Amino acid sequence: MKIVFRIVLLAALAAAGFWLWTILFPSPGKIIRRQLNAVAKCASFAADEGTLARMADAESLAGYFSTNVEVNINIREGDRQDFVGRDQITQAALAARSAVSSLSVKFLDVAVTVAPDKQSAVADFTVEARVSGEQDLIVQEMKFTLRKIGGHWLITRVETIRTLSILNFELRRAPSIV
Amino acid sequence: MSAQNETSPIPPQRLPGWVRKVLIGRNGKRTLTRLIALVVAFFIIFCFFWFVLLPVRVEGISMLPTCRNGSVNFVNRLAYLRHGPQRGDVVGIRLSAPVIMRPSIMYLKRVIGLPGETVAFVNGHVLIDGQILDESYEKDDYDWNLPPVKLGPTQYFVVGDNRSMPSEFHTFGKVERDHIVGRAIL
Repeated sequence: MKIVFRIVLLAALAAAGFWLWTILFPSPGKIIRRQLNAVAKCASFAADEGTLARMADAESLAGYFSTNVEVNINIREGDRQDFVGRDQITQAALAARSAVSSLSVKFLDVAVTVAPDKQSAVADFTVEARVSGEQDLIVQEMKFTLRKIGGHWLITRVETIRTLSILNFELRRAPSIV
Repeated sequence: MSAQNETSPIPPQRLPGWVRKVLIGRNGKRTLTRLIALVVAFFIIFCFFWFVLLPVRVEGISMLPTCRNGSVNFVNRLAYLRHGPQRGDVVGIRLSAPVIMRPSIMYLKRVIGLPGETVAFVNGHVLIDGQILDESYEKDDYDWNLPPVKLGPTQYFVVGDNRSMPSEFHTFGKVERDHIVGRAIL
């Protein structure tokens, strides 16, 4: 009985030690997940949020992206939007805040793949967005490419992934034809 | 007083009789066996609904009238172990979630096109390799048009049942086999 108790105690101690280790020294994957949660939080806004708070949130949202971030958005077939630069992110965030009264954004089913050199990573996830006054959810699969710049993980590329597509393969390769 | 304490042995601390009866019952061994059985049963039920029969709550109107907004359905992950999805099946489609994980969010759509086929919509009729598909589940007329789409060897064509909405606002199209999680039980 004593031996069993000791083994259990040792296992509990080992588990506690491991947990403490992961808290003190989080893996890049964990840091990126935490950061993506922060991005989703910054992208969301409530109806009663003041103008200054909205601008501050839009600015802090842009802070998670690199200065030359590439954005390729293709939500509807043939309606592709590409832009480059952090300023465009701020503009888009401000435009969203003026277009709808409130928005709730969640990143679900996040899968992070960190490169062996631990300097870049790819995050695949599903965005769930709820716009106030609309019954339907907005659901979109997305891919972020991140790079470690100055000790921080910054988003360098944003892409939408189309789970369902009505385009033929040849057309997908040349979106300008559509 | 102290001498009396030294001489009388201290009885081992035990739970009061009624507490013991409530917590453990008359037969401790039997209670333990029942407790273990309960934990195992709970674990099996949890695994079953987490990995095999996934409960899903429908949000949106794209599967009307088959699935109403807010209704709860189940997706059977084992349905396609022996064969692939069949035409007419309503299936759950994962987005970014890895294959073995339980997706937080899924599309619920009906399979109308199978691998290798060509699917088209002409004036509200589905054409499979040029032949009109009989869709008994479609109650209302609609006017969708879509040029022929050729499916690859691992692709299925899925679409919602609510075609009364404009096709531009409806999510449908080709999906890879590995994105189909299972068949919805309606």
